[in-house]
Amino acid sequence: MIRQIVTLLSLAPLLTFAAPKQLINHPYAAAEPSPSPLDEPQNTGSQGSRMVAENSILRVNSTNQAYDFFQPWLKKSPVSRRGVGVLVQGGCVLVTAELVMNSNFVELEKATTAEKSSATVERVDYDCNLALLRPSDPGFLEGMKPLTLEKSLRVGNEAAVLQLEPNGEIAQTIGQITSISVGAYPLENLGLLQYKFRVPLQQRDSSFTLPAVSDGRLVGLLMRFDARSQSADLISTPVIRHFLDSPAQARFPRMGLSFSALRDPQFRRFIGLTEPGGIYVNEVSPHGSAAEAGIKRGDVLLALDGHAIDQDGNYDDPNFGRVLFSHLTNTVAKLGSEVTFTIFRNGKLIEIPAVMRAPDRSHVVSDVQLADQPPDYIVLGGLVFLELSRPYLQEWGNDWVNAAPKRLVYYDAFQNELPEGRGKIVILAQVLPTPETLGYEDLQNLVVTEVNGKRVQSLSELAEALKKPLKGFQKIEFEEDPKTIFLDAASIEANQKALIERYSLPALQRL
Amino acid sequence: MSLFIICVFLAAGLDAAEIAESLVRIEATSQEPNYKAPWSPGEVSSGVGAGFIVQGDRILTNAHVVSNARFLTVSKEGDPKPYSAKVMYVAHDCDLAMLAVDNAEFFNGTTALELGDIPAIESGVSVYGYPIGGKRLSVTRGIVSRIDFQTYSHSGMDSHLTIQIDAAINPGNSGGPVMQKGKVVGVAFQGYSGDVAQNVGYMIPTPVVRRFLKDVEDGKYDRYVDLALTYHNLSNPAARKALGLPADDAGVMVDSVYGGGPSDGIIHPGDVLLRIEGLRIASDGTIDLDGGSVPLTEVVERKFRGDSAMLDILRVGASRQVKIPLGDAWPFALQSKAYDEKPQFVVFGGLVFQPVDKNFMDAYKPGNLRLDYLFDFFVEDGIYRDRPQLVVLSNILPDSVNAYAKDFLFSVVDEINGQKIHRISDVASAFEKASDYYVIKMLGVGRPLVLERKAVEEARSRILQRYGVTSEHYLKK
Repeated sequence: MIRQIVTLLSLAPLLTFAAPKQLINHPYAAAEPSPSPLDEPQNTGSQGSRMVAENSILRVNSTNQAYDFFQPWLKKSPVSRRGVGVLVQGGCVLVTAELVMNSNFVELEKATTAEKSSATVERVDYDCNLALLRPSDPGFLEGMKPLTLEKSLRVGNEAAVLQLEPNGEIAQTIGQITSISVGAYPLENLGLLQYKFRVPLQQRDSSFTLPAVSDGRLVGLLMRFDARSQSADLISTPVIRHFLDSPAQARFPRMGLSFSALRDPQFRRFIGLTEPGGIYVNEVSPHGSAAEAGIKRGDVLLALDGHAIDQDGNYDDPNFGRVLFSHLTNTVAKLGSEVTFTIFRNGKLIEIPAVMRAPDRSHVVSDVQLADQPPDYIVLGGLVFLELSRPYLQEWGNDWVNAAPKRLVYYDAFQNELPEGRGKIVILAQVLPTPETLGYEDLQNLVVTEVNGKRVQSLSELAEALKKPLKGFQKIEFEEDPKTIFLDAASIEANQKALIERYSLPALQRL
Repeated sequence: MSLFIICVFLAAGLDAAEIAESLVRIEATSQEPNYKAPWSPGEVSSGVGAGFIVQGDRILTNAHVVSNARFLTVSKEGDPKPYSAKVMYVAHDCDLAMLAVDNAEFFNGTTALELGDIPAIESGVSVYGYPIGGKRLSVTRGIVSRIDFQTYSHSGMDSHLTIQIDAAINPGNSGGPVMQKGKVVGVAFQGYSGDVAQNVGYMIPTPVVRRFLKDVEDGKYDRYVDLALTYHNLSNPAARKALGLPADDAGVMVDSVYGGGPSDGIIHPGDVLLRIEGLRIASDGTIDLDGGSVPLTEVVERKFRGDSAMLDILRVGASRQVKIPLGDAWPFALQSKAYDEKPQFVVFGGLVFQPVDKNFMDAYKPGNLRLDYLFDFFVEDGIYRDRPQLVVLSNILPDSVNAYAKDFLFSVVDEINGQKIHRISDVASAFEKASDYYVIKMLGVGRPLVLERKAVEEARSRILQRYGVTSEHYLKK
């Protein structure tokens, strides 16, 4: 893998792991006892877990309904999901974001008494796949006890995954952490610290949003489980802590660069690198933390706040062993904090400080996910226009990379290489045949370039351009064949009602 | 089994006996190049097809029967003696080939078959050949089901007029004549396997066969010619009004004109094509020709290199007539299957570099999104203008010199030591220039691949020997 987009961040919180003094100030750490020796066996006795069940975990039922990107004015059939949430400080219940993605209705249920309260999604962050739920009934959680976070874990540690039986009994399954590494989280493909966990789970609810606990403390939240290999991916405690500590709208900071390993001795000699380790910067995305700091393609990152970076990009973490340096920049660091890179450039060692920023979404060409928001669209006389996004491509199914229209897949995959200021990609997704679209019935998934002589880089620009037909015609130009089509502007205007009725459209546009 | 064949034989009557005298069984020993080991001559395989004798002591068959052939023998029904034959002309773009036999005695007692016309829909035809199921001549009968343009799967890119029949056509029928009233009305060439469609077989009709025979009259085969442009229909009333066209359902609008093609600079995108060679073009792109409605390209299909086509066009409201000197559209060649060609390559430091074409993609199935894009849109997005060949790092023969090159597999080579790579020969010339380091830049990859000359030289004979590489490069002249 040469291209590995990494998000990096700042370093001040590194001390969090090393200096217990700082931990005291930590709202979720305050109740924690001092860390026990790492090699001490973890206690996961049934006595402890029953207390946990009654006091800190709840069943969460969510009814989710995603939009249909093929018919963006419609929602798909509702899907019910159940998982187990954890009460954390602040009167909220922590679950995976996936559990409540596109939720219409969320319900909390006490394990033993089956008491229920509806809940609202207080915060959701698809980067780290976490959400906080708040019960509508303020007294609902009274008498329950928030769980604290386990701080440090090592490969080989055991923990219990908690599931709820229909009768409210807690079912706990012991598993073991088999590796700790930075890996892609499912919804945003952002690389964050995760635990691989081997555990023989049984399907009890319709999801694997389940807490893993050890010695009465939260170790992580399951987000993926593969029944065949009995292996689970856990959202790690540092990621959960970063989420809980961040202000409501803050996203995880990212470095905004891609790198490749520096294992090849011929290449090291070629660039004159004699220092050990280091990684080679392949690409720096515009407006990102790395770009703003002045990091350039061809720089060799040797160290980060004094932590040596090896030839594969890993540093030695006191708690987790060898993990990718991006853990320091996107999880340990907070938005706005500063990290310092030691960089080899043109034969010299230099220090470059970087302020950690969230990615600038205004430059995203094709969004990776668009949960919880209705997709925008415009229907013009039967032509359906959308902005290209990953969820649209994913409508082609699991094999969308091969099944979806190739040009659109390439635009999505290589959007970072498009000229800056490309804007969104407006596509003619399909045609609902009408008298106005005669001869255009088969057009689909074409990239729009200009409308009535105006460049179109978003749906709102399209809406603007459509207001000014040329000599009574709507002229639409595409990147591929047919390059140019015309429609009768007056006829479209006159037949809007007929179009709405013909295809039962709630509206001709949503912006 | 043999009973069945005899019955059919008798039913076909006297006709069949005469036709049998003109039928040829072709045994081909071929060697298909191995794109994954391009220095290797390839595996030897053999196959059987049919052919028939035409005027001038020649044999007609399918191109795919004799593709990549190293040795050919032909034999006649009822004569056990095989005669050695050779390919005179092969047309991979319409799946036809003409063979000659060294020993003129072969043609003693044979009759040249005559070509007929396009048979009527629903009329009966007989298919002659040597399909699987036995060694001797087989005849099957069917009717003409459909006459239409179809892709010729031999090249995978070209489509020509094709006749669909419901007679069983199986492997070994290829190249055999399809007969009606004692004349050849087609050459059996492709079909569907039973799990896709039943009773669907295709033959090459005589206009295509005649074109081939005429093309080779001058001693060489020149391929089909093409306008190298795309167009779309003009059936939408608003589009017609906007372009100032009358409501007469005529004309198509030009979308793309491929650079370097015959229409480049003569026809512009946005032009409306009204007539070709005086024939009115309907708004769906068809013309009336020989009493049938066919795509306007059929006019060009019947032309030859050096011919021209007259087009009546409308440009920004003004009508004019243009003449297009016809030739082929070379960038498309990359996307059609190639035969009788040795794969080009360069081996350097155990890294194998090859130009990308359809054969390459079929052999490697790289599954690399960027390469897929460049290949799929090579023509449409005009990638060929900058890069007449896409050269990739196709394979690595593992050695300590290239131990870390794996990340670059299937990347497209952009530059070597500052020299732009437009074609595979550029790779060879760049590596010939002495330099301490060879810096290979790939498209879309930030980090270059670097080889030290010293290390490459040390590894050179070791790699060639270990992997049985008989030659370090093959470049077409």
